[in-house]
Amino acid sequence: MKPGFSPRGGGFGGRGGFGDRGGRGGGRGGFGGGHRHEGVFICRGKEDALVTKNLVPGESVYGEKRVSIAEGDDKIEYRAWNPFRSKLAAAILGGIDQIHIKPGAKVLYLGAASGTTVSHVSDIVGPDGLVYAVEFSHRSGRDLINLAKKRTNIIPVIEDARHPHKYRMLIAMVDVIFADVAQPDQTRIVALNAHTFLRNGGHFVISIKANCIDSTASAEAVFASEVKKMQQENMKPQEQLTLEPYERDHAVVVGVYRPPPKVKN
Amino acid sequence: MLVLFETSVGYAIFKVLNEKKLQEVDSLWKEFETPEKANKIVKLKHFEKFQDTAEALAAFTALMEGKINKQLKKVLKKIVKEAHEPLAVADAKLGGVIKEKLNLSCIHSPVVNELMRGIRSQMDGLIPGVEPREMAAMCLGLAHSLSRYRLKFSADKVDTMIVQAISLLDDLDKELNNYIMRCREWYGWHFPELGKIISDNLTYCKCLQKVGDRKNYASAQLSELLPEEVEAEVKAAAEISMGTEVSEEDICNILHLCTQVIEISEYRTQLYEYLQNRMMAIAPNVTVMVGELVGARLIAHAGSLLNLAKHAASTVQILGAEKALFRALKSRRDTPKYGLIYHASLVGQTSPKHKGKISRMLAAKTVLAIRYDAFGEDSSSAMGVENRAKLEARLRTLEDRGIRKISGTGKALAKAEKYEHKSEVKTYDPSGDSTLPTCSKKRKIEEVDKEDEVIEKKAKKAKIKVKG
Repeated sequence: MKPGFSPRGGGFGGRGGFGDRGGRGGGRGGFGGGHRHEGVFICRGKEDALVTKNLVPGESVYGEKRVSIAEGDDKIEYRAWNPFRSKLAAAILGGIDQIHIKPGAKVLYLGAASGTTVSHVSDIVGPDGLVYAVEFSHRSGRDLINLAKKRTNIIPVIEDARHPHKYRMLIAMVDVIFADVAQPDQTRIVALNAHTFLRNGGHFVISIKANCIDSTASAEAVFASEVKKMQQENMKPQEQLTLEPYERDHAVVVGVYRPPPKVKN
Repeated sequence: MLVLFETSVGYAIFKVLNEKKLQEVDSLWKEFETPEKANKIVKLKHFEKFQDTAEALAAFTALMEGKINKQLKKVLKKIVKEAHEPLAVADAKLGGVIKEKLNLSCIHSPVVNELMRGIRSQMDGLIPGVEPREMAAMCLGLAHSLSRYRLKFSADKVDTMIVQAISLLDDLDKELNNYIMRCREWYGWHFPELGKIISDNLTYCKCLQKVGDRKNYASAQLSELLPEEVEAEVKAAAEISMGTEVSEEDICNILHLCTQVIEISEYRTQLYEYLQNRMMAIAPNVTVMVGELVGARLIAHAGSLLNLAKHAASTVQILGAEKALFRALKSRRDTPKYGLIYHASLVGQTSPKHKGKISRMLAAKTVLAIRYDAFGEDSSSAMGVENRAKLEARLRTLEDRGIRKISGTGKALAKAEKYEHKSEVKTYDPSGDSTLPTCSKKRKIEEVDKEDEVIEKKAKKAKIKVKG
């Protein structure tokens, strides 16, 4: 954990520690092993891919490729995670330190859309965890509900995330808030939800699109102003990472909410 | 002070035991660190449990609209009015409504928010008698019900029914065909002539079911099933049949099979009616344009009505002919002009020359109808009827143009041929009068001489013979 807050810009080289380099022969996709983040894996082959373990084997959510790896007697199915479509995958491949979404965690996902990234988060948290997926659009909501029918650890909420009190009866305290809402007042939205649902010491992962907040200012200035807004709301940012080469002028900020006071020895 | 806390399993009303602690907003979270500490600051006064998801749904939809439903009213009147204490609520608007309707004073402030946070974090410990699994299940059920309520989900507009019904229809047809063939073959061992006389499958089975063994045909009454001549034929054939005798058990089994066949046939007609009803309910415009069967097959092929609506008109035109399409594309030949749409009535009633044109026009208008049904709010078929009328008018002009084309284009009609008088005089040809082979009476000069010589020689020979 880095002390204080240090932004990491783009061009950050690939981090070491991407599991063991299996290096199986080309052609057949070999399994490279686990990623530093729990619940995320790497599939080695002609092209390496980030994969998650499929909670519902045999089904593809948005037409992504699936890989079946034999482990002893049974086959485990993994689904490929596309970093161009999912900001969380782009952040992981960019080398983010901690995503805080791990097996058994309770996640509040704001801006769930049709559920492509939500399905991968659901794979990571597994059957013990929960994903509360909030989406306001009706079209995407329909796809989200269909997804939630198949995966019982996803709870669909078709409400405006600006008013968390409207869905207060559905959600218990969560460990992580992931926000991908693309709204100019997204920090306020996340803050409201954090005040209502995020436990003390819980973490937040926010994806910021610079164009969305202010299209005239430069991306760096926008990110800095968002970070400042967060600090005013009792949310302490810990990492910032831009999503090059997958997205332009996008950044992901990870932080902690109401950290427990440090015991001074 | 009392606190109203809504959960997916019911309403909880807590009493704050230590009001002084509320003054320090920032350290209030410390009081909720463990369940024991939490129980010291708030106590559960009353818990109104929901009996099932339907009740919970009704309660929260009322809350969303800013009204108080009867259950909440009852609880509030009973508990809060008696206690004469202010009520802390999470939603300021709700507080206003409660004050208006029930005249209870409500509080909403940052302190209340902190309190709510604390209660939420220790929800399991503060509300005894509710298992976490039950809470989770209720939560999930309630979330799904609320989402459906938000999306105005209506159970008739589910297109999965259509996809399944049409697949079942095809399966039934295949099975029915198998069973009927088996039945004919089996019974044909005993009475082969019946199969040749009665060609309709259902009548065959009904006839079989009525009579059974060949011996009973003479005394059987088949007038409802068959016309008189056929009945007479059947009875005659039964007398002189060349099939073998079979025992009671065998006939029994054949009869079982027949009963099955008849039941499945009846179910098939029923299923077809059901499919027609569903199609009219879900996609009325498509039904008007292409008919129920073709519309259902298109939806089944695409997977759902929404998926079908995403396709371009050219795709809908050749949906169902993918094998031919890709084969033609690979070998750079002409691609097919129609797929499933070939079976629509509009395409069926045109001449083969115009089927391609009509199929294209029909696909274009059908795609509009599909999108109207998939995304539109109202479910009337006015748009489909209008489009169909337009198409039929265009079809008629196409046919008329075609008729004129047989005798030449408009330009060719305008061009008149130059008039030339050919005088033809017809005479009577007598060669057809006699059937004897004709030889011309005028013979040629060389032939005549030769023939005379031959005749003279013969005459001389003859004379000599006579003398001698």
